[in-house]
Amino acid sequence: MLIEILQQTINGLAIGGVYVLIALGLTTVFGILGIAHFAHGSISMSGGYLTYFLVTGQGLPVLAAIPIALAVGVLLGLLVEMLAYRPVRHANHINAFIVALGLTMMVEGLNLQLFGHEQVVIPTGLGRIIRLGGITMPELRLYVILAAIVLVAAMMIFVERTKTGQAIRAVAENRDAAILMGVNVQMIPLIVFGMSTALGVAAGIMVGALFAIAPGIGEGLVVKGFAVLILGGLGSFPGAILGGTVLGITESIAAGFISSAYKDVIAFVVMILVLLIRPQGLLGRAP
Amino acid sequence: MPKHLLKFAGTALALILAAGTASAAEKKLTIGVADALTGGGAVYGLPQANAVKMAAEEINAAGGIKAGADTYKLDVIAYDDKANPTEATNAVRKLIDRDGVKYILGFCCSGSTSAVASFIGNEKAVMLVGNAAERSITTKKIPNLVRTRPPADYTGAAAGTFIARKGQKRIAVLGALDVGFYAQYVDSVEREIKKVGGEIIAREVFSLKDRDMSPQLTKIRGLNPDAILVVGYVEPAAFVYRQAVELGMNIPRYGFTSGSEEQFLRVTTSEQMEGVWDLRPTELTLESASKNGVAYHANYTKKYNASPSPSSPYAYDQVYALKAAIETVGKAEDTDAVAKALRTIPVPAQVVMQYQPVDGKMFDANGQGYTSNGAFQWQKGKWVFVEELPSDSKAYSQFLSTLQ
Repeated sequence: MLIEILQQTINGLAIGGVYVLIALGLTTVFGILGIAHFAHGSISMSGGYLTYFLVTGQGLPVLAAIPIALAVGVLLGLLVEMLAYRPVRHANHINAFIVALGLTMMVEGLNLQLFGHEQVVIPTGLGRIIRLGGITMPELRLYVILAAIVLVAAMMIFVERTKTGQAIRAVAENRDAAILMGVNVQMIPLIVFGMSTALGVAAGIMVGALFAIAPGIGEGLVVKGFAVLILGGLGSFPGAILGGTVLGITESIAAGFISSAYKDVIAFVVMILVLLIRPQGLLGRAP
Repeated sequence: MPKHLLKFAGTALALILAAGTASAAEKKLTIGVADALTGGGAVYGLPQANAVKMAAEEINAAGGIKAGADTYKLDVIAYDDKANPTEATNAVRKLIDRDGVKYILGFCCSGSTSAVASFIGNEKAVMLVGNAAERSITTKKIPNLVRTRPPADYTGAAAGTFIARKGQKRIAVLGALDVGFYAQYVDSVEREIKKVGGEIIAREVFSLKDRDMSPQLTKIRGLNPDAILVVGYVEPAAFVYRQAVELGMNIPRYGFTSGSEEQFLRVTTSEQMEGVWDLRPTELTLESASKNGVAYHANYTKKYNASPSPSSPYAYDQVYALKAAIETVGKAEDTDAVAKALRTIPVPAQVVMQYQPVDGKMFDANGQGYTSNGAFQWQKGKWVFVEELPSDSKAYSQFLSTLQ
């Protein structure tokens, strides 16, 4: 029993890592700019598709393809901010909402046109299995968990310890005060979108390597991302990290000990229960 | 009558006759395809649509369908139903109402096919179902519907006998059990293994979009089964096989998936697949294929630059069955007569699948066709046909007739 619980926890950590990265991207955009960026999942999958193309179509080693995809992710984020969201920044919130929905459909359509309807798996060549007692773990999952930890740590350091990070937090706290303090508020949305999309692309690569990328996967992922956001507390970075990890492990344990048929339902039930007790989410601030 | 009027009448008559002869010489018959060309079902639907187009081109190249005094050249219109019931209904309505199509082929997936089957009986059109394996499609006694693929439980019984013979008693099932025909397959397996004291110890579920099966597999591993049985679409099934190895599950793996080598190798490695059994209709595997099967594989691969999926000939065979029925009736316009004729034709010589005719006919009174079932095993990178699984098409046909 103990072994099964540990195994399910480890199973859940890898997918939890993916949820954390998606949720961090979403929470950054939502917390700082107030935009529910629904296209985040689809754009993340574009990054996964790009990595697949670079590895299988161009023959690049996966370790060379990943930084290229991340860099393209940053550029994509900048473009999305400039072309899609900036024009509606000062308009009613519903405008940004509609733009987000339209963008999702557009990116999904583009992915379908460019990469086809077949699912694709990013080949990594990592096939070893690590065994410890009765617990087994494919090395790929271990690397995914480690990569997620490194990326989360890098982002936290960037946001907490750098001047740009401080500026981002300042805009999130009080935009007007930030302007008075000399923060270039035109640049902040660009940085936020670049950073958020790069994290999303990293998640897309992980999904593509662990499982597969296919039309519709991104949409499902973004729903989970928003669930994590609410679970952890809107706009809270530590909340997104905790929420993603909790959701991943809950899904795994629920499928293992209750029923795989209700895997998603149980995860959302947990979310609702948490919100009943803490409406602001696990680590959100009470209003 | 004045002479010039006689001349005019004679010329007009000659022209009418000439026109009549010209139309009798060659007509166009548009056939429709409603199938999953995108989305999760496309692994089955797209190859089916390709197969219909290829068969139509072959028939046209060989002179068309000769029915009475007419020769019909086939034209194919294919719509994407995304394996979705609403989309399938819309696609078929478009084919019938807008395009005037009377013969609709394809139909890879049970949900979408059942939706169309629910109203096709009221239409002046004939529906030929391919890979969709849900039993109820041919239990409703719909006179203008036939199906080339046998129902899943017909194959499940044969699979259960095979597993029982292998001696494994405690079987854990992981599959798309919310899909009726997969559940029917498992029920049939269970009936057979119970006869020798076996049991199904777990029924775990995955959905079409699931890719992480490790929670379900971890649970199954904890139950110490003798074997696992995986029933579902190729894509999630491939992940089950891969992740079972990753979890160190070294037990026999049986499946009911009908995926090609190419489809599995997109997800798993050959080493991870080694030893997996697929217990399914014999379908198209080069080792078990007839001459037609070998030629079909070569032509398809050349035309589409990809191997055909094992189930794609269900649709290819539909076209030749339709051809035979139209030729029997002598005209394509009378859909009632063609639908009736489909239930009387013998198996056409050009088909790829290995049918087990009932009373010498390709389709029984329910409109159901039967193919042989086989045990295939993954050995060194490919599916190897190991043995035929004994199946009694006549007895099953009688059983099917008793169902509503």
